[in-house]
Amino acid sequence: MKSVRNWWRRKRSFTNELHEEISFHLDMRAQRNRESGMAGREAVQAAHRHFGNTTLIQEDMRRMHTNTFLESLVQDLRYAARGFVRSPVFTLTAVFAAALGIGASTAVFSVVDRILFRSLPYSQADHLVSVGMASPLDRNEFLFPEAYVPWRAYQKPFQAITSWTAGVAACDLSEINPVRLDCAKVEANFLPTFGITPFLGRNFTAAEDRPNAPRVAMLSYGLWQTRFGRNPNLVGKQIRLDGQPFTITGILPPSFEMPTLNHADLLIPQALSDTERNGRALRVFARLKDGVTLEQAEAAMQPLFQQSLKSVPAPFRNEMRLRIRSLRDRQIQDARLASWVLLAAVAAVLLIACANIANLLLARSLNRQREMAVRTALGAGRLRLIRQIITESLLLSVIGGIAGCAVASVLLRTFVGIAPDGIPRLAQAALDTRVLLVTFVGSLVCGLFFGLAPALQTPRAESLAGWRTTGTRRLLLRETLVAAQLAASLVLLTGAGMLLRSLWNLENISMGIETEHVVTAEFVLGKQAYSKPEQQLAFFEQLEPRLRQLGYLGPIALSDSLPPSGPSRSRPLAAIHVDGRPPLAEGSGGMVTWRFVTPGYFPTLGIPILHGRGFVEEDRASNENFVILSQSLAAKLFAHDDPLGKRIRTESPATVIGIARDVNIGDHTEPEYYVLRKHILDATFSNQMPPNGWRRASIAIRTPLNPKETSGWIRREVASIDPVLPVTIATMQERVSGLTQRPRFIAILLSLFAGMGILLAAIGIYGVMAFLVGQRAQEIGVRMALGATPAVIGKLILARAALWTLAGATIGLAGSLLATRTLGTLLFNVPPNDPATLAAATTLLLLISLGAAWIPSRKAASVDPMVALRHD
Amino acid sequence: MALAPDNLQGTLVLLILKTLTRGPNHGFGIALHIQTVSDSALRVEEGSLYPALHRLERDKLVAAEWKVTENSRRARYYKLTPAGHKWLAAAEENWTALAKGVNKVLRFA
Repeated sequence: MKSVRNWWRRKRSFTNELHEEISFHLDMRAQRNRESGMAGREAVQAAHRHFGNTTLIQEDMRRMHTNTFLESLVQDLRYAARGFVRSPVFTLTAVFAAALGIGASTAVFSVVDRILFRSLPYSQADHLVSVGMASPLDRNEFLFPEAYVPWRAYQKPFQAITSWTAGVAACDLSEINPVRLDCAKVEANFLPTFGITPFLGRNFTAAEDRPNAPRVAMLSYGLWQTRFGRNPNLVGKQIRLDGQPFTITGILPPSFEMPTLNHADLLIPQALSDTERNGRALRVFARLKDGVTLEQAEAAMQPLFQQSLKSVPAPFRNEMRLRIRSLRDRQIQDARLASWVLLAAVAAVLLIACANIANLLLARSLNRQREMAVRTALGAGRLRLIRQIITESLLLSVIGGIAGCAVASVLLRTFVGIAPDGIPRLAQAALDTRVLLVTFVGSLVCGLFFGLAPALQTPRAESLAGWRTTGTRRLLLRETLVAAQLAASLVLLTGAGMLLRSLWNLENISMGIETEHVVTAEFVLGKQAYSKPEQQLAFFEQLEPRLRQLGYLGPIALSDSLPPSGPSRSRPLAAIHVDGRPPLAEGSGGMVTWRFVTPGYFPTLGIPILHGRGFVEEDRASNENFVILSQSLAAKLFAHDDPLGKRIRTESPATVIGIARDVNIGDHTEPEYYVLRKHILDATFSNQMPPNGWRRASIAIRTPLNPKETSGWIRREVASIDPVLPVTIATMQERVSGLTQRPRFIAILLSLFAGMGILLAAIGIYGVMAFLVGQRAQEIGVRMALGATPAVIGKLILARAALWTLAGATIGLAGSLLATRTLGTLLFNVPPNDPATLAAATTLLLLISLGAAWIPSRKAASVDPMVALRHD
Repeated sequence: MALAPDNLQGTLVLLILKTLTRGPNHGFGIALHIQTVSDSALRVEEGSLYPALHRLERDKLVAAEWKVTENSRRARYYKLTPAGHKWLAAAEENWTALAKGVNKVLRFA
């Protein structure tokens, strides 16, 4: 504060000194003049005349000392700020538009940046790939050990290849305060392949990564921090996991994350033996050699892949393909398209906002024409004026940017709140330095963009004379800008419309099950206590009667999986044999889902048995095996024959006793068959491979009671058998709506952006028309004086608005046809270039646009000719 | 935007600096001197004199201070700095060379 005051004082005294120096000169000259005989007054005047314009010269002198860039910038800024305060409506509108555009872009960018652009926390992450076999069983590629071992030995395209055992496993830190943790089993070269070095301690050695080696573990930074208080002496100590002692070799760095984005508290060696055949799936990652492309790597791996196919059971072979994709693609799964769509949508909103502000500035610059002309006449250089205008728009954009950050933080919180699960890295999205930097640069670029139009139209001094006549060219530019805004809004509207329609389609598919009044519960039995099929069966045998105790609730089902979501078992159609029919050709027909259910499954979910009968309790004691087919599977296996009574071979031979109606999952129908759960350890039960077996199970209960009570009751019953078993409860309706969560999220966001776009465009067209009315008030006055009715005048204005709206709509329609094509897989059952959506969006746009123009047209119609003509 | 000694625009500057070799002086004194010495052939444009003086001050070729004149008025006195002396020497040389050159051309034609 003191330095400011000093600066001010110095500035003041400097001005005084300039003045004193010049008046000394003038006095001396006047004295000379008097000495040479002039009269007193004349002498002074002559001195002044001789000297010239003192103000201008002082200004010149001042520039010699003070016209640093910074000082004139401060001057410009102060001038701009005063101007903004003087016209608050303009300023608020412009800041509102900028904040909306910048805020929306920042929020979306902060999410999308993590998905699309930001580098992954590994060294040279662009060289990292995920390698494996893709199959319909798993949306991610995997390898069995018998394939991985030779691949690792003979592969050529990679510098390094590593693996971890798919899926983090729950493990219990069995110490004083036992806690359940996530353990990931990784190969010894896992960290080096990703270029990660432990924060403390060391990685596993190859010797520790062998079966029966001494047990070791690495801790995540988070676990080390929360559980062990960042104890630096922890390395080398032992902890007990699932009752076994493990030596801690190292602590992972804080930035560590699993390449698959799973949460992991501990890494332990996966101890893969070269001869292992136990069926565990591996996730394999590799680092490409320099200069090797994905295609080259895939070609190089083909021979090994073909070799490995031989170890795949015959029915699955044709379903498998080799897949090598970048780590980023593996991580973001199918979020790429949606990310780009959202990014493009906010870019459109930002452009609309910029065009809007440019428009406002143009209107303002026309109002300031006189001021500018006066400043030019007083000697302001053209460049100086341009700089002033650019400074103003930059100031505006920076203010807008700051307000935009506030908008962005609100929007981001909203996005995260309404976002469905499974959007990669959403939890990490934040307005950090990088995002704010992009926002800042973005605002400046916007500022330059919308400042350019008015800046290039700074008037010359001559326009001081004829200042009222200019403006037609400028109006053309402004109307073009409005048309552009309308066009961009229409593209957003059609995009949002199509997504909404797709969402509506998705939500109104008949699932084929009755979702009301059904409560479901899912759980996975602990690995330790339920490793054997006998233990699993024993649990279910205890659970069933307990659930049925309260059977008045309604029908109850036990199954390994439930539609429409969650993991379920499947096998290739070709692996189902029908007695008395030739086996199907391999790889024809895709996958068939199957479920292991109790008789209550069909009544609980409301799936009607169309033909034959459902399961009954007595079947569970029978030595016979029974199976129920879904309609579509029956058609595939038996074509027109009657399947009832026929025998098919799946897990074990079984007789078909009924045909159930199809269940639609999402946007497609998967053929299914249902195997009956028995009370004994039959072939189906004991055939399932450890470690998973039948540990995963779901309960479904149809009950008129409120879901909260029912869920409490289910939890109590489960807890009475196994108090530590976690149970996930959801109503069937929640599970079904989970399917449409993602499309709903994207549709909501796009609708939001379309709303912003159309709001801004409406403000834009209102502004231009209101301005037009103001400009033409005199002309309107004349017209009215000559007998034009208010209706004619109103039409005149509306016609003008309609002309530009139509121009914008035409361009927007063309743009929509191009843009909505990119939505592709985001749409379900929406015809390309859906005419209904296009028509609806266009109508909405026309209505809003003409609505916005209607207000100024009313004003034009109410112009009082007397007032208008008296003006100026 | 420091001045180069071979800048022709520096003619006024040359005259100012030369005048100041006689000792510190104020703007009016400088103007008067140039006018008198050149027998009124050179009339200093006063509108450019003061900005030029201030530019010289900014470029540290002259230094300025407030002093009281003979008839006890405060005036801003300018005097040459060592840099100003050096600049002047170079500029004078340039000027002479230029004048010679121009003279030769004029005579030849």
